[in-house]
Amino acid sequence: MRRFLNMPPQVFRIVLLAVGIVVAYSIARYFLTPPSFEEYGFYRGAALAELATRDRVYAGKKACDECHSDEYQMLMKHEHKGLACESCHGPGEAHAEDPRKDNIQRSGYAACLRCHEANPSRPKWHKQIVSKNHYTGKCTECHVPHSPSEVP
Amino acid sequence: MNRPVSRRSLLGKIAAAVAGVLAAPAAKAAKTIAQKVLVSTDAPKGYDPTQHKWVMAIDANRCIGCGFCAEACKKENHVPEGPYFRTWVERYIITKPKPGSGAARGETLVDSPDGGIHGYPEAPVPKEEIQHSFFVPKLCNLCHHSPCVQVCPVGASFDAPDGTVLVDPNYCIGCGFCIQACPYGCRFLSPITKTAEKCTLCYHRITRGLKPACVEVCPTQARIFGDLKHPVPDDPIQQFYQNNLVMALKPHLGTEPRVFYAGIDKEVR
Repeated sequence: MRRFLNMPPQVFRIVLLAVGIVVAYSIARYFLTPPSFEEYGFYRGAALAELATRDRVYAGKKACDECHSDEYQMLMKHEHKGLACESCHGPGEAHAEDPRKDNIQRSGYAACLRCHEANPSRPKWHKQIVSKNHYTGKCTECHVPHSPSEVP
Repeated sequence: MNRPVSRRSLLGKIAAAVAGVLAAPAAKAAKTIAQKVLVSTDAPKGYDPTQHKWVMAIDANRCIGCGFCAEACKKENHVPEGPYFRTWVERYIITKPKPGSGAARGETLVDSPDGGIHGYPEAPVPKEEIQHSFFVPKLCNLCHHSPCVQVCPVGASFDAPDGTVLVDPNYCIGCGFCIQACPYGCRFLSPITKTAEKCTLCYHRITRGLKPACVEVCPTQARIFGDLKHPVPDDPIQQFYQNNLVMALKPHLGTEPRVFYAGIDKEVR
């Protein structure tokens, strides 16, 4: 010990400085490392839960089924069963929370053509029309959106 | 070495020992206070990320290019207006070869105006000159060896144990390394938060038992989503692998994407 302290002063200062840096780093690391760091890996584990706390905008089919089960059942029986309600009617979480007529889209003509207007890039199995040759009135005059094979 | 212990040195040693004993809990208390100030946690309980392995698959044979997925993604995740997308739909048009050119196929034209949200303009070549055309939905490829995670200097980008690749918005410094590293162009720097953003598989939805917004609204089930650790009866993901020949994007880069595609051409990058 005494010999260690008797080292030349310039060496002693360097050793002291090095020890000081290591101690300061250790203290800073101890206080600044987030508690959930390395919970799952080299990142902050709490970030997972934080990312999961966001509010949703789309409610999901089940939420629609709670009130509109007639329409839902009808949809599920016909060709459009693959569609979600919110495909055509837009995001519905606000409507599911507070059901009003003005916070959900009434689907229209544009929604039909968005999928069914003829396009050479669309797969052949998909039913397509050239709207200007097909009919100029409303789609719903001849087709029921919730059961497309039915004629009104 | 049998020196007498002086009173002064003994008292000094006792004082040091007491200080040491008191300092440990004081440091712990200070640490909890510091962490409370720096980190806030008001997270939902009941979801264990180690018990899931989420994956998405794309059946391009079924994609009709409606753009509902890209639109739903923008709305669900509040993606900034403009050329910022977490998912988008590309249109590929491969033209017929010029007569006498000796080539099997012509040019490959790719476009994705506004991510496909507002549909596609008339094809740039007449219908008769198109050899083959199709739509390809794009999203984070959920790589096994994510280049974006490897380059993050602050540990803000990470592979979560449930298969998602996420960004910790509180620790992202917005350096943009990950955006350059992603070979699929799936990340962007948000002009609002100034942090990197990407597809999270709608992490706030899947942790509550819902499907990602794009999968929810897809009218033709071109997007298939599931949990590899909890296959349901007639699991759509398992059926996808059973019924299709699948491929990944840019397999030569060794990123080992976990998002597989069915029905895409070799021109798709």
